[in-house]
Amino acid sequence: MSAVAARFDARGGHRDGASVAVRGRRRLPLGHIIGTALVLGWTLPPFLYLVVLSVKPEGLIAVRSALVFWPTFERYRQLIITHLGLPIWNSLLTSTVGALLTLALASLAAVTFSFLDFRGKAGLFLLILLPRMFPPVTTLIPIQLGMKTLGLIDTRTGLILLFAAFQIPLAIWVMRTALAEVPRELVESAALDGASLPVIVIRVVLPLAGPGLLAAFILAFIFNWNEFLFPLILTSFNAKTGSVAINSFTGGYKQLPWGPLAVLGVVMTIPVILFVLAFRAALVRGFTAGAVKG
Amino acid sequence: MRWATLGRGRLYFLLLTLPAVLYVFLWRIAPAFYTIWLSFTQYNIIYDAGPQWNHLENYHRLLQDSGLREALRLSVVFAIGATAIELLIGLGAAAFFDSDPPGRNLLLGIFLLPMIMAPVVVGTVWSALFDPTVGPVMYLFERVGMPEFQWLSKPLTAFAGLVVADVWEWTPLTTLLLFAAMQAIPREQYEAARADGASAFDIFRRVILPQVTGMLAVAGGLRLMDAFLELDKVFVMTGGGPGTSTQFVSYYVYKQAFQAYELGYASAVIAGLLALLTMVFAFYLRRYNRMVNAASA
Repeated sequence: MSAVAARFDARGGHRDGASVAVRGRRRLPLGHIIGTALVLGWTLPPFLYLVVLSVKPEGLIAVRSALVFWPTFERYRQLIITHLGLPIWNSLLTSTVGALLTLALASLAAVTFSFLDFRGKAGLFLLILLPRMFPPVTTLIPIQLGMKTLGLIDTRTGLILLFAAFQIPLAIWVMRTALAEVPRELVESAALDGASLPVIVIRVVLPLAGPGLLAAFILAFIFNWNEFLFPLILTSFNAKTGSVAINSFTGGYKQLPWGPLAVLGVVMTIPVILFVLAFRAALVRGFTAGAVKG
Repeated sequence: MRWATLGRGRLYFLLLTLPAVLYVFLWRIAPAFYTIWLSFTQYNIIYDAGPQWNHLENYHRLLQDSGLREALRLSVVFAIGATAIELLIGLGAAAFFDSDPPGRNLLLGIFLLPMIMAPVVVGTVWSALFDPTVGPVMYLFERVGMPEFQWLSKPLTAFAGLVVADVWEWTPLTTLLLFAAMQAIPREQYEAARADGASAFDIFRRVILPQVTGMLAVAGGLRLMDAFLELDKVFVMTGGGPGTSTQFVSYYVYKQAFQAYELGYASAVIAGLLALLTMVFAFYLRRYNRMVNAASA
C-alpha cells in the first residue's frame, strides 16, 4: 500500500454504518448529469454555431437573433461546382498521398528497428526521433528556399514531398509500439522455415501490425490536413490547402465573408469528426505519444 | 532472436531503413542546421544575391531588438496563462471522466474534437463567436445593455480571445493526459479512503492529486512549449494586432522572414528561440527527474 493510503489509515476513520453506506454507493448521478452537460456545453456549441452560420441564408447572416430559419445549402453546392472547392481537394489529395508515403517509408524502418539488432541502432533511432524535439519553425526558411530552387512552389507535388517527411518520426514511434506486440516466435519460425524477409514481413508481420499501421496513417493524415504554416509559405493559388484558403479569407479589414468561411470550416472538420468517431483509441494513443507509455 | 538464419537478407533489410533515415535527415535535420548557418549571414532575398557571412551581427541586433522582447513577453504571458487554465479545467474534467459517467468513451471522443480539428478552424470558430456582426458574444452584450465593441480589435480583449480559443482547443489534451494518470491509480485506494470517512474532496486532494503531479508537470510542459510557439490562431483571429498587441514570437519570426524578407535575421531569431527552448527543456527535465525521484523515494 502506498504512503498516501497509509496516511489515511493513520488518520483512523471509524467504520460506522454511515461510511459503509457511502462506500457501497457510486457517485451521485446528479454529478454525472451536470458533468455531462458541462462537457457537451463546452465542446459542441462553438462548433455548432459555425455549422449554423454555414447554412444561414445570406440575408439573415448579420441578423444575430435569427436562430430559427430555413437552411440554405447553396454555399455547399457552390463549393462543389466552383473553384472554391479546389483547396479542399488539394488538402485531401496532399494529405492522403503524403500520409501513404510516410507509411511506406516509416513502416520499412519501423520493422527493421523492431526486429533487427545492429550496431548503431540506438543512434539511428535517435536521429529519426530528433526532429520531434525541435519545433518545425526551425526548418521553415531552408525548406522554402529549397522548394524555390526545385521549382516546387505552389505545386501539390511539393506539399506531398514535404508531408511525407513530416510525420515519419511520429509514424515510426506509433508503429514501433504496434510491432512490439507481434510475437517474435512467429517471425522466427517463419524464418527457420525458409521464408525470405519480404515474405515474412508481408505474410506475417503486416497482418498482425495492421491496426498500428492504420493508426499511423490516420495520425499522419490528420496532422497533414491540419498543417497551416508550411502550406502558407509554399503555396499561393494552385496548390493552396483548406487552411490557407480560410486564412486568405480572414486577411484584410473588410467585412468577412462569413458564409463561405463557415462552409470551409465545417468541410475541413468533417474528416476529422469521422476519424474521431471511428478510431478514437488510435488517435488518443497518437496524440499522447511520448507523454504516456502505451 | 536468431536473425543469423536470415543470412544476407539482414543487410538487405537494413538498407530498407535508409530511405526513411535519409528522408528525415534531408527534410528535418539538414534544414535546421542550415537555419543555424543562415543566422550568421546577411541575407535579404530582395537585396542580396546570396547569404553573406556577417559574423555575429544578427545576434547583436537580436539583443537590442525591442520588438522581439515585446513578442517574447507576450508569448510567455500567453503560454503561462493558457497552460494554467488548461491544467485547472483539465483536472476537473479528468476527475469527471475518471468517475466513470455513463457513455464515458463516446463523451470523451466528443470532448477531444477541438484538439483534433484544424487550428485554423478553431480560430475561425472563435472569430465568428466574437465577431460583432454575426457572433453571439456581442449580441449577448447588447441584450444585457452593455456597449458593443470589436472584441478582437482591442489589445486586451484580443489577447484574452486568443487565450479562450487556446483553452478550448487544448484543454482536451491536458484532460486526456490527467485522465490516463488517474486511471492508473488503484481503485482500492478510493475504497479505503471512503471507508475511513474521506469526502469526495478529501479523496481528490489527498489521494488523486499527489499521484497525478508527475502528469501535471508533463502536460504543463507540453502545453507551455506549444503555446509559446502559437501561430495558427493568431493568423486567423487577430493577425498579430491590433498594432502588435498579439504579435507572438512565431508571428514575429514569420514577419521578419516573409514580410521583411530578412532571412538571415529571422534565422538568428529562430536559433535564439531554439537555444532558449533547449535551456528551458533541460532545466525542466532536471526538475522533473528530481520531482519523480522524490516522489518515489
